[in-house]
Amino acid sequence: MKCINCQYDDEQRNFRYLYNARIDASISMRQCPKCLATIAVDELTGEVQQVVGPGEAPWGKSAGVESLADDYQKAA
Amino acid sequence: MSVCKDCKSFFPYDDNPQKGDCVRKVIDAKQTYYTSKPTDAAHDATQCKFMQKNNH
Amino acid sequence: MSEPQEKTVDIEELVNRQEWWWVAEKKRSKRLDYLRKAVWKKGALGGNYAPGIKVDMEYPVLFTDMWRFWKFDPAIMRRAKAIAHVLDNISIFITDKAQLVGYMGSAPHTILWRVDGASIVNEELYNEPGIHEDPEAESLEKVAEINAYWAGQTAVDKVARVLDPEDAVKFLSGAIGWGAPTSAYGYSGKDYEYYMTGKRAFEAIIEEIDKNIEDAEDKTIGIPGPDIIPYYDKIQNWEAMKLVLEASIRYANRYARLARIVAKHFETDDARKVDLEKVAQTCEQVPARPPRSLHESLQYDLFIQILARLEAHEGAWPARPDYYHGPYFDNDVNVEKNISREEAIDLIGEFMIRAYEVGGFAPRWAREGLQGITGTWVWTLGGVKPDGSDACNDMTVAMLQAARLVRVANPTFGFRWHPRVSDEVMREIFECIRQGLGYPSMRNDPILIANSMHWHGHPIEEARLWLHQACMSPCPPTKNGFQPMRMASATANCAKIIEYTLHSGYDYVVNMQMGPKSGDPTTFETFEEFFGAWVKQMEWLFSTLVRTVNLARSKDPEFFGRPFLSGISERAVESGLDAVSPEGDRGNCWITAFTWVENIDSLAAVKKLIYDDKKYTMAQLIDALQNNWEGHERMRLDFVRNAPKWGNDDDYVDDIMLRCLREAARFSKVIKCPSGNNWPILPENVSANIHYANIVGALPNGRRLGDALYDGGISPGPGLDKKGPTAVLKSCAKIDHITDGRAFLLNQRLSPTQAVGEKGYQLWKAYIKTWADLGIDHVQFNMVSDKTLRAAQKDPDDYSEVIVRVAGYSAHFVDISRKTQDNIIQRTVQGV
Repeated sequence: MKCINCQYDDEQRNFRYLYNARIDASISMRQCPKCLATIAVDELTGEVQQVVGPGEAPWGKSAGVESLADDYQKAA
Repeated sequence: MSVCKDCKSFFPYDDNPQKGDCVRKVIDAKQTYYTSKPTDAAHDATQCKFMQKNNH
Repeated sequence: MSEPQEKTVDIEELVNRQEWWWVAEKKRSKRLDYLRKAVWKKGALGGNYAPGIKVDMEYPVLFTDMWRFWKFDPAIMRRAKAIAHVLDNISIFITDKAQLVGYMGSAPHTILWRVDGASIVNEELYNEPGIHEDPEAESLEKVAEINAYWAGQTAVDKVARVLDPEDAVKFLSGAIGWGAPTSAYGYSGKDYEYYMTGKRAFEAIIEEIDKNIEDAEDKTIGIPGPDIIPYYDKIQNWEAMKLVLEASIRYANRYARLARIVAKHFETDDARKVDLEKVAQTCEQVPARPPRSLHESLQYDLFIQILARLEAHEGAWPARPDYYHGPYFDNDVNVEKNISREEAIDLIGEFMIRAYEVGGFAPRWAREGLQGITGTWVWTLGGVKPDGSDACNDMTVAMLQAARLVRVANPTFGFRWHPRVSDEVMREIFECIRQGLGYPSMRNDPILIANSMHWHGHPIEEARLWLHQACMSPCPPTKNGFQPMRMASATANCAKIIEYTLHSGYDYVVNMQMGPKSGDPTTFETFEEFFGAWVKQMEWLFSTLVRTVNLARSKDPEFFGRPFLSGISERAVESGLDAVSPEGDRGNCWITAFTWVENIDSLAAVKKLIYDDKKYTMAQLIDALQNNWEGHERMRLDFVRNAPKWGNDDDYVDDIMLRCLREAARFSKVIKCPSGNNWPILPENVSANIHYANIVGALPNGRRLGDALYDGGISPGPGLDKKGPTAVLKSCAKIDHITDGRAFLLNQRLSPTQAVGEKGYQLWKAYIKTWADLGIDHVQFNMVSDKTLRAAQKDPDDYSEVIVRVAGYSAHFVDISRKTQDNIIQRTVQGV
């Protein structure tokens, strides 16, 4: 897996797992061991999607009336 | 030697002037407040950074 | 445009944009606005204290010096003298523009350090960065000296010496329990019926004590025999109570004197001088004599809470302000018209601000479990009187209005709903929720009264007086009903039950054998065998925690002692026993069941995918869990998405919830408290779902080590309730909220766009009717949009008064950690 902030390349398990705020989605937050950036990772594909800054929501919106999480909709 | 009794902040008790309160106005980052701490009139105030001589 | 018109236009615009925090700022008086902004926030920001917050060093030095001096005295007298010395000598202060006074620290930015509670907390305080006054080296030297003195003789040190060593190690691991086994921490309920009904205050109590001492002394110089022996200790207890009550009166008089000195020598504004004279007269009246006005009643209440906190940490604030202050409000505003309604609301707002600023040093696990606040001040409003009639009054409405003006995260309110609550009150409640306060929570009064009678045998008239002990649990504030020591360390990290079931009691996170060896689950051929192991782990967990705290409670008068609390408690004043003694206490214990629903969803997933569908083997599951689902994402998503989840009105998983609760309820009647009463469970979380994120391992519901656990009680997992709000209520309604446990926390998130106007109110009211008809005991609401919360994450300074309901309490959104923020945002938004 390659960090899109600093290009550091390593095995996925060496990027420290932080958390997944949506248990039914495959997007989690990990931390690059080199630049310490918080990155959103698709645990299914190993793809690094984005660097996660304050106010950003890689999972999309909350479930419910204001729509389901984007990736859940894709997989559903 | 300066003692508390000599300070503007010292307010003695009516029934025992050898003791009293040290009352000060404080302005901190959030608020203004008035603080009080009991003290003896003869307490050594030489090292007190808030000491203000009472000129009465 | 003239100023008043401009202000009105601004407010209307802000209302339309639903920016309630700016609305509040514009609507509240200049005085209240000043006081609101003058507060030094003591709640930790995601676990860390805010810059500028410092440990108060006057209390530890004064208390320790006097404790040392009276080293030959019995413990209770030693404590009373040390407290009295503090009350006579600690710095006090009056905030500019304040009409209510009293705080436990020597300055507004200080937090109290309880030196005699636990050595491990004292060590933590030494190592905590940023909280020691400059010069830091000097402060740390003093802290080290005090720590060295108290090492080994704090309340928790003493409990640890007599506790079973295995229980002690497992409790101290931090994996299974939360809380400290001593009345030094936790919190106390109060016997409000004794001192808050206007019948008596401290002078009258001192007279009662004097009489009891006199009678006892007659006995101790009488005919010798075994029955006079207890009186020697009782006399000591009474003397200690009297000493502290007298010191408390002197303490209040110090404020009176200070107010007059400020008025005469510092203040130049005539109106403020009048206010200060009022403050002085109030502090001379209370707590010595009963209050005569709303101002005096609120000041009396505040003094007692501060005084209790100069004796013990007090991590909650059980109160029923509209019930006990309501008569004074009514008299002042409606009958004698001494003050206007606006002035009364302004005073109530200040009272809430005074409560909000209260805070002492708490260890990190407490700060992480209670992010943003210093304790759960859940004040009870509404309900019924002992005769069953509606207890709502004008002050109920005033409190709800004041809350919207000051927007503090603490106190929050829990409203005792019953069928006769007026539409006026319901509208005020809705307005608070709509304006994003996250409170009041709604409590089903008829259900909870029956619950109190069922579990603890409180008579109906007492049960009807109930108020929240902290977030959730009811207790009457009566002579034999009130709870002097929250048995807080019987707070269980229940997710460990399912975790230990999977690993035969072994905890891979802390790397030790914790629970019993309930068997290798790969050898279990049926779900019944697996469930049997679950029950074993549950019984072990609850027994371990309850044993610890039962012992601590029984020993508390000897290991700690509460002379002040005893002095305001009828059964202590009457009996001469410490209020914490189990003797005379009917018992009102409960096990707070953190992280409960993980068990249900995990059991359902195991039953479905391993035992019913046979899609995976247990060995495959255990392997995936031990690898934290790493490399097993597809399998993990299978366990999340293709096994039924709680909160969707699905009997497959809902029946498992009922089974688990009923096993716990059965066992709750087997384990007993020191008074011989039951220990029902109460599922709820505070923000422990974040604190335990790195302590609970991967589970079959799909979580990994590091993920936040579900947010509370019987709330479904964030995003896992897919069938709408009625389905959530239907699932919750299958639980018997009287007999299946003590109470059950339910978080619901509603859309602010739906809450607009009369239609919004009617929708919410209909929801509440459904909730009540279904016999559910609790519900609380978040009504803030994703957009606002994400914006607050980005620019916290612009959103400092945005409040969210975390669990059994509310917090300012910007004060909680990013993980907690994301957890709240991901809660399903329900449309009503």
